[in-house]
Order: sequence, then C-alpha cells, then structure tokens
Amino acid sequence: MNSPLKTAAPGAIVHPLKQPKSASAELSPEMKLVQEALFKHVGKPIPRKEDGRLITGKGRFSDDFSLPGQTYAAIVRSPYPHARINGVDKTEALASEGVLLVLTGEDILADGIKDVPHNPVPSTNFDMKLRAKDGSHAFTGPHFLLPADKARHVGEAVAIVVAETAAQAADGAEKVMVDWEELPFVTDTAKAAAPGAPTIWDEVPDNVFIDTTFGDIEGTNRAFEAADHVVKGDFHIHRVTGVTMEPRASLGSYDPETKRYTLYAGSGGAVRQKNELSKVLGIEPKDLRVLSFDVGGNFGTRNRVYVEFGLVLWASRKIGRPVKFTATRSESFLTDYQGRDLVVKAELALNKDGKFLALRSDNLSNVGGRAVSLSPLSKGSGLITGSYDIPFAVLRARAVFSNTMCTQAYRSSGRPEVTFVIERMCELAADQLGFDKLELRRMNLVPPSSMPYTNAVGSVYDSGEYEKNMDRALEISEWNMFDARKAEAATRGKILGRGFANYVESSIGTPKERAEIEIKEDGNIEVIIGTQPSGQGHETSFAQVVADMIQVPVEKVWIVIGDTDIVSVGGGSHSGRSMRHAGTVMAMASADLLAEGRKRAAELFGSTPDQIEFEGAVFKLKNSNQTIDIFELGRRTRASHGKLRVIRDNEMHTPVFPNGAAVCEVEVDRDTGHVQIVRYTTIDDVGRCINPLIVHGQTHGGIAQGVGQAMWELCAIDPNSGQPLAGSLMDYGMPRSDTMPTFNCEIAEVFSPTNPLGIKAGGEGGTTPALATVVNAVVDALSEFGVKDIQMPVTPATVWRAMNNGRKAS
Amino acid sequence: MYATTYHKPMSLSEAIELFEGSEDASYLSGGHTLIPTLKSRLAAPQHLIDVRNIPELASSIEVTANKVIIGSATRHHIVASSKEIQAVVPALSGLAGSIGDVQVRHMGTIGGSTANNDPAADYPSAVLSLDATVHTDRREIPAEEYFQGLYTTALEPGEILVRIEFNIPEIAGYAKFRNPASRYSMAAAFVSKHRDGHIRVAITGAGNEGVFRWTEAEERLTESLTAEALEGLTIDPSRMMGDMHAPTDYRAHLVAVMTRRAVQNLGGTHIL
Repeated sequence: MNSPLKTAAPGAIVHPLKQPKSASAELSPEMKLVQEALFKHVGKPIPRKEDGRLITGKGRFSDDFSLPGQTYAAIVRSPYPHARINGVDKTEALASEGVLLVLTGEDILADGIKDVPHNPVPSTNFDMKLRAKDGSHAFTGPHFLLPADKARHVGEAVAIVVAETAAQAADGAEKVMVDWEELPFVTDTAKAAAPGAPTIWDEVPDNVFIDTTFGDIEGTNRAFEAADHVVKGDFHIHRVTGVTMEPRASLGSYDPETKRYTLYAGSGGAVRQKNELSKVLGIEPKDLRVLSFDVGGNFGTRNRVYVEFGLVLWASRKIGRPVKFTATRSESFLTDYQGRDLVVKAELALNKDGKFLALRSDNLSNVGGRAVSLSPLSKGSGLITGSYDIPFAVLRARAVFSNTMCTQAYRSSGRPEVTFVIERMCELAADQLGFDKLELRRMNLVPPSSMPYTNAVGSVYDSGEYEKNMDRALEISEWNMFDARKAEAATRGKILGRGFANYVESSIGTPKERAEIEIKEDGNIEVIIGTQPSGQGHETSFAQVVADMIQVPVEKVWIVIGDTDIVSVGGGSHSGRSMRHAGTVMAMASADLLAEGRKRAAELFGSTPDQIEFEGAVFKLKNSNQTIDIFELGRRTRASHGKLRVIRDNEMHTPVFPNGAAVCEVEVDRDTGHVQIVRYTTIDDVGRCINPLIVHGQTHGGIAQGVGQAMWELCAIDPNSGQPLAGSLMDYGMPRSDTMPTFNCEIAEVFSPTNPLGIKAGGEGGTTPALATVVNAVVDALSEFGVKDIQMPVTPATVWRAMNNGRKAS
Repeated sequence: MYATTYHKPMSLSEAIELFEGSEDASYLSGGHTLIPTLKSRLAAPQHLIDVRNIPELASSIEVTANKVIIGSATRHHIVASSKEIQAVVPALSGLAGSIGDVQVRHMGTIGGSTANNDPAADYPSAVLSLDATVHTDRREIPAEEYFQGLYTTALEPGEILVRIEFNIPEIAGYAKFRNPASRYSMAAAFVSKHRDGHIRVAITGAGNEGVFRWTEAEERLTESLTAEALEGLTIDPSRMMGDMHAPTDYRAHLVAVMTRRAVQNLGGTHIL
C-alpha cells in the first residue's frame, strides 16, 4: 500500500521532531504565524465552556425538542431472532384510541422508500479493501426502514404506530398483529460461518459475505517453515453495546408548503444523516434539515442512520404533523448499534531468540442481520502486527451475517480487538517458550529509526517512540516494586496480578472537513464546523485553537455545530478524527482570514500586505503607529468588502497512528474470584495535545469503557431461543466509579508529520490496550492455579471457574 | 406503562377499603420493584394505592431494651443512618446502607422490600435471622411463617404490612456478594447470635425458594461461633438459583464463603 509519506519524496521523509524547520518551509506567512501562535499557546488545561450549560439542565438533547401538534411513535419489534412476515393486520391497532397511522414494510415498498445507503465498506485510500470471496464487491444486505420479507434479529422494527400520545402509541403497537413464521436462526459468530448454518440472506447462502486475504502468503509460509517456534491462540472479543446515557431519539416534521423535512436527532454528525436520509426519502439533500445539538454519549453507536430517524420523517409527511420517537432503555439495549464481536485464530512464528518472524491471523467479524459498517474488521485488519516489527503476515478477514443486532464501529473500532490478540499472543509465547514477557516485547518493538514504518499488511505508522512509552509506563506504574505489593496483598487473602500491553492504533475517518470563520460585528468570532461532540468538549478545545490563532481571548470564540442549514459539509466525530481534521482546517481558515485581514488593512493604510504585521488581534503598519484591531477592521471594511469571513475546505486521507502503553494491577479475592482493579497506568502518544484536561478526561472514559468490556459487559444471547439475556442494567454490567481505581495517566507528544498541527488522536487510546491489560493481569494473578488464558468478561463466576479448573488439573 | 389510577389514602381503613373495592389493585410503597415492572408493561394493576402517608406505617424507628421496631414506610437511608440502630444492631443499619445506590435508599422502604420478598433482596435475611415479628393491619406473623418462597409471603390479599419488630441480638453480622450488574445480592448471609444463645443463619440472593435458614450452619455455629467451625460445610447446588451471572455451583460456593465472612465480621458488614 502506498502512503504519501513513502511515495511523495522517499528520501526526504524525516521525522518532524528531528527537522522541524523543513516541515514549515513552504508555509505561507499567515500559516507560519498561525502555527507559531498555536504552538505557543495550546496545551493549556482550560475548563470546558459547555459544562455550565450541561450540568444546569440547559442542554439541548433530541427529546428536549417539541413542536406544535406533535404526535408520538411506538415501534413494533420482532420477538424472534429469525422469522418470515407472512402478513400484518393493522385493523385492531388502527381502531385503538388515539392511533393515527400504522406503517409496515409493505408500505415502504409501496411508497418507494429506499434502503439506508450505509456504504459499510470503508473507502479511503488507506482502508483495507474488503471484498467477497470471488473478489467482487460484497452483498451487504439492504437496510429498509421496515423489512417486508422477514425479521433478522430480535428487536428488529417491523411496523411504526403513530398516535396522539406516547402511551396510546405503545397501546396501539401491542395491537398490530404480525403473522410470523419462525425460521431456524444462528446468533453465534463462529457457528454462523460454519457449514450448514441457517441462511440469513438468500444472496449469501453461507452467510460469509466478506472473505479477503491480505499479506505475503509465500513469504509468511517460508517464515513459518524456518521458525523455531510457533505459538497459537484462539480468541473471541465478545459483543458489547454503547449504553449511552441519552437513549436515541428523533423528532421529524414535514412542511407541505415548502416541501421540506426537518429532523431533530442527536447523532455523530448531522451532515451524514442529512445525506443518507434524503436518499432514503428520495429527496434532494437541501430539502432535509437535520439538527443535532447536545448528544448524551455516542461511542460510535450513533454514527449511522437509525431506522426510526427515517420513519418519523416519512410518518410526518403521511399525517401532516410532527412525529416524535424516543427509545426506551430496553429498546436501546436491543437495537442500538452494537460493538466488537470478532473471532480470531492467530499463529505467531518466532526464532529461538524470540524474534517475531511472521504472523497468521484469521479474523471473523459478526455484523449481525445486515452490514451497517465494516469499520471494525477493516480498522483491525491494518493493525494485526501491533507495535511489533513482524516482517511477514497474512490476514484472512471475513465478515458474517447472523441473527443478531447489527454491529458498528464502537469506541476505538477494531483496534482493541487486534491489540488484545497480539498482546495475548506475546504473553502466550513468553509463557510457552520461557521468555520474559517484557523483554520479548521490547526486542520486537518497531524502533523510532524505522519511522515511517510499513507493517506487513501495508499500514504506514507515521511516528512514535514505542520503547520510550513502554519504559515510562513501567516506571510510573512502579513495576519493579510489584513483589512487595503482592506480598502485602497476600496477607489480606488477595492475589495480586499485573498486566502490561503496548498498543498502536490508527485514526483515519471521513477525509473531508470544512471550516467557516467570521469576525462578527459584536466582537465575537463564529466558527462553523461539521464535527459533532457528544461529550468531547469541542466547544472548548476548538475555540482554544481558533482563539490562539487569531490571538483573541477564548471567550470570544463560539463554535457552531449540528444544524445542516448552517453546517453544510462535515464528517462528524468518529475514529478520533475531529481534532485533527477540524484543527487542520481551522488553522487553514485562520490563515486565510489573516491573509484577507492583512489585505484589507493594507488598503486602509494605503500600503501593501507585506507591510502589515499582526499581533494580539491587531494589524499594524510596519514602522508606524497605525493600527487596527481585527473586529474594528471587520466593521470598517464591511460596506466595501463584505463580511470579514472565510470558508475553507480540506481533505486529508493519510492516517495517523496514536500509540502508547498501559499497565493494570488487579487484586483477586482467593475465595470468591472477585476482581478489583487497584492500579491503572497509561502513556498515550496523542501527537500534539491541545487541551490536556480534556484529553485526560477522554482517556479516563476510554479506560473505563475498555475495562468494562474486559470485566463485565456482555450482550449475552440465549443460544436456545436466540433471545438477548442482558436487556437491562439489571443484567448488563457496567463500570462504576467505585470499581475504578485512580488513574495514573501521562501524555506523550510525538508530533505527527501528516498534518500541519502534528495532531494524532486522544481518548480511544484509553480503550485500545485495556482489554489486554486487564486479562493479562487476571491471568497473571491466576498463574498459581495453572491458568493460561481466560475468556472475557472476567466476571467473578468466570474467574472462580478458572481457578477451580486449575485446581482440579493440578 | 399502562393507564392506572393512583390513590393516596391517609388511613389504614381507607387503604383497605380502596383495595377491597377495586377490581385489580396493588399497594405501592417506595416503588423500586413495582414501578420498573409497570414501566416495562410487565404488570398492569388498575389501581395503585400508595401506603406511604398512612400514619401507622410512616417512617419511624423505636428502640426498646430488647426490640428494634421500624415502621414499614421507613426508607432505607433512615435505617442506615439511625444512630440508635447502629448502636444495637450495626449489621442491620449496615445492611440497609448496602442496598442499591443513594437514590434507591432514599425511595425504597423496608416494608416494600419485605412484602415483595424478592429472592435477591437484603431485608428478608435480617427479618429471618433476627427472629422478627411482622405486624400487619390484622395480625402478627413470626418470620419463620412469613416467608413462603419466591415473591410469596403469608400476607393475604389486601393485608398491609405495618411495622417490623426485630429482636436485638447479642451480636450479628451481614456479608454480601453483589451481582456485578444489578448489585442485588448474588449470595448473602445474615448471622445472628441471640441473647438466649441460639444462632440464626439466613441466606438471601441464592436459594431457589427465596430467603432460607441454613440450619446445618446454625448447628456448627452453635458449637463454636467461628469461621473455622464452618470449614468443609457445603450446601447442595440443587437448592440454588442459577443464571448467567452465577451458576448454581458457584452460588452454593458463595453461600459458604459469605456465611464464614459474616461470622468473621460479626458486629458489622462485609460487602463485596
């Protein structure tokens, strides 16, 4: 695979830290100014501007919006994992008090409502190219708002009922009679891909719709033949769900006068919702306005279109009144897009000294009833070799349909899965072959001198100092003093265990972003941007970037997001893209703005732009006392030149590779198997850090989310009935403040050469190594029982079982 | 939630009259089991009769020489923070303080918990272990006769639990292993040594017939009130509930461990 880092000027690629001046050699004077200003000021832990609003109940979440004449929707959902719809009888529902409308999959077809164009196969230049077995573009399963043929998972929407009140809608939904014909089903990932499994889509009889092999097969085979050792491992990175605090909600309204639709729906990016939903409705994008303001948690679950978003718009047109849908917590557990669910078989070849020679990995991703996103499989595919220099690798990447809710990119999509595999493989190899587990890792790490480094499946790691991260993590976790702590824990009947993991992840994301910056007459600066925060603090960190570049106080900068009538272009927030994409395009726009300002100031002073200096938001004619501040300039030149305002588009395809290391220490209660995390340490290379307060907060949340999966979270399904078993917080275990230790987090900044600000990404790095560190620590604690591996989540019952099996075996 | 009619009687007789005059009625106290059930449309009483404003049930704690008497509408946090109860049965106030979370403890009531008899609830173990007497609007029921299996008690339809009278023991301890998701008890033991010397061990969260006395453990502890006296004592997994969080053999194991830990923590609680 080609990367501009390698191909643009092969000999000239130098780490920006080593030759910082070469990176800025061709910059415009304004861009230079912007960079200098930015690099002088960012990095301050400014408290979040949005918190005051959010903690005093002034947030604007989707369900907070109501419109005159509003009606309410309830959804009829499939009680079966797999069942044909032989007919739907609406009679009783339509006769139910207050019910205004009932719509089904047949009505979808009759009205020409299209399927959701999810485009599940990632398509940037640097995403792994996933194809069907014969090399063709894969069949991904059309996603209609309501299916007319059959339901493919428990909870799938099959009808919408609209009524005067929410209770009447719910009553009506119970009276929709669906003539179901139950079909054989399969929910388990490996079983769905096994011969003879029930077929989910007739177009793909064996359910496996992606089957692509990457890497150098011959080279890998040769390396395995020459190897002294081969270590094998089987893993299932199980399915979890996002459990956002705000359940998904939508309010749709159609105006017959203007023939325009309006949708209030919190998501990961309003522009994507507008573009895809307009295709569903068969209208021009300009005829749909999407508003997404405060969003109570996303983690990937909200990045794709939900059927209810399209349904409320369609239903609103049908009845001529606004329609609102708010999911219950149960509906969220059943039908929020879910995460992970990857089965991996891996083989690692080593020589007698412990040098990694080659890796084989067979990765099988369970996408559910239809493919909404292949990001998890794709993202992980490029990173199977982890932080290690493994010369040869072959990856077989497959995706399979099953009778489960669809999966989607979820907090650090795909990377925790493959990090778990390679870091578990390091532990298994060290244990089986008698190497020190840290030294084995150390001798195989990609060294800084190899950067930019092309791994065996073609990903180009932009920069990083992996061994330095490892050393620092070990140092601040007091790894060397572990034995004393273990002895102390033993006096309390606890077994102390420790787990280490390196990680590298990739951040790509939708390549396009636009920034619009305007110097307002009231002395404020307005920035319009197409990302969508759901707790990431963009209103603060973005304002911080622009404030530093225009050299004004941060209070004067206001970020406008989430209304597609204002924000026309924007990739949303996912894959750790926001700061990098928004930061870069905002820097470019700021430079444009200063160029325009310089031009206008020169005219005003009867000079030329090169004679104008800019400092502290003031333009100054060189060698004179003529000055004008940027707001005054905007006011004075408005009549002659229009608003002092710029629009800048930018497109960046090159991925960045955040990286780091983490250490987890656990206490296992010898009698009960109860696990308590007592220490957690991380080093995260996020590239340039704009606001460490926000990055740390993001990292803490990321750790909790990774630890949550490792220890408690599981979308359990009863194999006999296909019914989800964890349908509420009574059965779905979540991380809590009292089950988390005080985090010990440090930020490392190795600037990325791929973008002018040197940004990589933050937050997801907390999640990426967490699954591995927790499991490594628990296995370490249980080593005295002969435990070598354990399936997540490591609940007390699982740990107790592992101890017991170990006791029996010994 | 289905449509229902909410009533707020101010006296016992009014509440009972309402209940008997209604087709399909249910008493409501703190609502921490009933309201979620209603919201998920798993129950649909036509009438909800809120008993929290009836003076006889109202939040009250009385400690006498031998008894702790608690009004049935007393919320968990009141019991947890009662200095009087902390002084005489710290295991009881500690149990109340270990229920759910802050919000639950400020709404849930001792009467609601005891009347509902959820197999994973905390209070039934204290009621049984402390040989309590359940007072209703019409009679007194000894704890031994009160609990009759999962969600089942000796209460007749319409009968209202008014107050609970606990015996003050010589010493008692409560140990609980919580479900990692719900934080209800997955296995918990309330061990009491009464002033006349007899031992009561009540297990909640584990048994497939709800709260129960573990008489084999009582016998061992009668000989010696020490964790060592319980060494080697196991309980039959076929008596246990099993689910995705804890199969029956694990629950049986936890019952034995929690009983030992209750003994090791007499005069207090041990919550994992």
